[in-house]
Amino acid sequence: METTTNAAIETRALTKRYGSIEALTDLDLEVRPGEIFGFLGPNGAGKSTTIRILLGFLHPTAGGARVLGLDAVTQSVEIRRRIGYLPGGIAIYDSLSGADALDYLGDLQGSAPVRRNELCERLEMPASVLRRRVRDYSRGMRQKMGVIQALQHDPELAVLDEPTEGLDPLMQQAFYGILDDLRAAGRTVFMSSHVLSEVERVCDRVAIIRRGRLMALHGVEELLARRKRRVQVRWRGVAPDLSDVPGLSDLVVDDDRLTGMLLGDVAPFVRAVASPSLVDLIIEPARLEEAFLEYYADEPSEVADA
Amino acid sequence: MTLRLFWQTLAWNRARLALLLLACLGWGVLIPIIYTGFSDAIREMVNSGMIPENLMSFGSGNFFTLPGALTLGLQHPLAIAFVGVFALGSPVTAVAGERERGTLEVLLSRPLSRQRHYTVVALAVLLMLALAVAALLIGQVSGAVAVGIADELDLGLLPLVFLNGVLMWGAFASVALAASVSFDRAGPAMGVALGFLLTNYFFEILGSLWDAAEFLQPYSLFHHFDPGQILQGDGDPLDFAVCAVALVIPAVWALMVYPRRDLAAPA
Repeated sequence: METTTNAAIETRALTKRYGSIEALTDLDLEVRPGEIFGFLGPNGAGKSTTIRILLGFLHPTAGGARVLGLDAVTQSVEIRRRIGYLPGGIAIYDSLSGADALDYLGDLQGSAPVRRNELCERLEMPASVLRRRVRDYSRGMRQKMGVIQALQHDPELAVLDEPTEGLDPLMQQAFYGILDDLRAAGRTVFMSSHVLSEVERVCDRVAIIRRGRLMALHGVEELLARRKRRVQVRWRGVAPDLSDVPGLSDLVVDDDRLTGMLLGDVAPFVRAVASPSLVDLIIEPARLEEAFLEYYADEPSEVADA
Repeated sequence: MTLRLFWQTLAWNRARLALLLLACLGWGVLIPIIYTGFSDAIREMVNSGMIPENLMSFGSGNFFTLPGALTLGLQHPLAIAFVGVFALGSPVTAVAGERERGTLEVLLSRPLSRQRHYTVVALAVLLMLALAVAALLIGQVSGAVAVGIADELDLGLLPLVFLNGVLMWGAFASVALAASVSFDRAGPAMGVALGFLLTNYFFEILGSLWDAAEFLQPYSLFHHFDPGQILQGDGDPLDFAVCAVALVIPAVWALMVYPRRDLAAPA
């Protein structure tokens, strides 16, 4: 595939079929250098298939993909030299100690593990834990090992499949801190997730994929700005007429209480409700979950909002 | 990087390899001792008609000459089990086993082409098999020396026996490795590899015991591993060629199939 941009990841009409099953259809994506890109979708939507094509594990049926300017099919070894990959549900050599496993994978990577100590410290994997065999690790510890092996060589691009799966809330926060640092250092992160609060917290842009097709690709802020948010106002006395406020809909007035949905800028609404008789004002934040569910309105969602 | 993978592949197998080498050495030592102790008695039993002579030819071996006895020792089910477990087990676990456990994904996310992965694993397996065959031969020579019959052997021909053995076992390992890169689970890969080995063994043994089935023997790789013939100076270059071709064909096939395979997410 010819590259048309300086994108960290670029797919054009990427299609993958397994017999009659179409796992991925005409996927066009562009991940910019230095951004944290969320790839959203429930299980079976095509997230892992896309990632596996990017790494050269799967061959596209049609279309193509470039990673760091390199062709995902013909230059896959060079791509893997420059990226870090965390597979979903990672398995690491059980018979090795944590330290030996990281050494082994680091040696095979061919780059010095310059960030290992820092990552181990932040993810609370001290030397005493790394001396134990991987078979004795809990699921969370294995996941931390997965994060460390993916990032220890400070790759230009990190491809992370469900990175916080199995991590406790404290470690999730530590991981988000690591992502913030990666962003600050200009590294690119492509992460799949079905934890919407996580994507909302850490990602710059998100792509929503459904049944192998791209449904939306927006900045998180943009996506949230396009969401209706629930508002609730209470006054002393009778509620004023707010029917002229732009973006306000689904109004329900109940004596001194008004509820409705607000789309877009909140300033006109706030100006309209501001009065000495105002008792309470609640504007619920727009949630990515609502945006996501809109694309999945007609099918059961497996998305969690953790 | 490649060297690290090579040593690690050996390291995964070090305990099994140590046991295998000890077993091969022990078995090898035993053969000349058994030959010295029982050869004459067995010959008498055959001459008296108590035992049909056909039963004394097991595969390409026999109990009436030291080279024949050594061949018999190398084709005995016990020797086949020792080396076969390794020749099939290591290749099957090296790719299909890793895939089943999910670790292949982490391994191949490194800058390692599948061709290189295959080649490194194949070389490591070949080295381990070479050590096993060497252990069998060293054991046999040691046993012969111990019972004072080493002069019945032309030791200068042992390297050819070694080469023949490595080529034959390498061919079985090559089939196992080809199966290993073709399946997502170790079970089916082992099934194919074991089926191939047992079919070969069955052809050779059946042909040696039953004249009507003799035509099957040339189709068995075991028939093309004949240390007795080599040690008597009558080694057939065709045997080496057949084993070498049987090693190369699955290797070429694996090198074509493995890089082209889709490696879907482990179940």
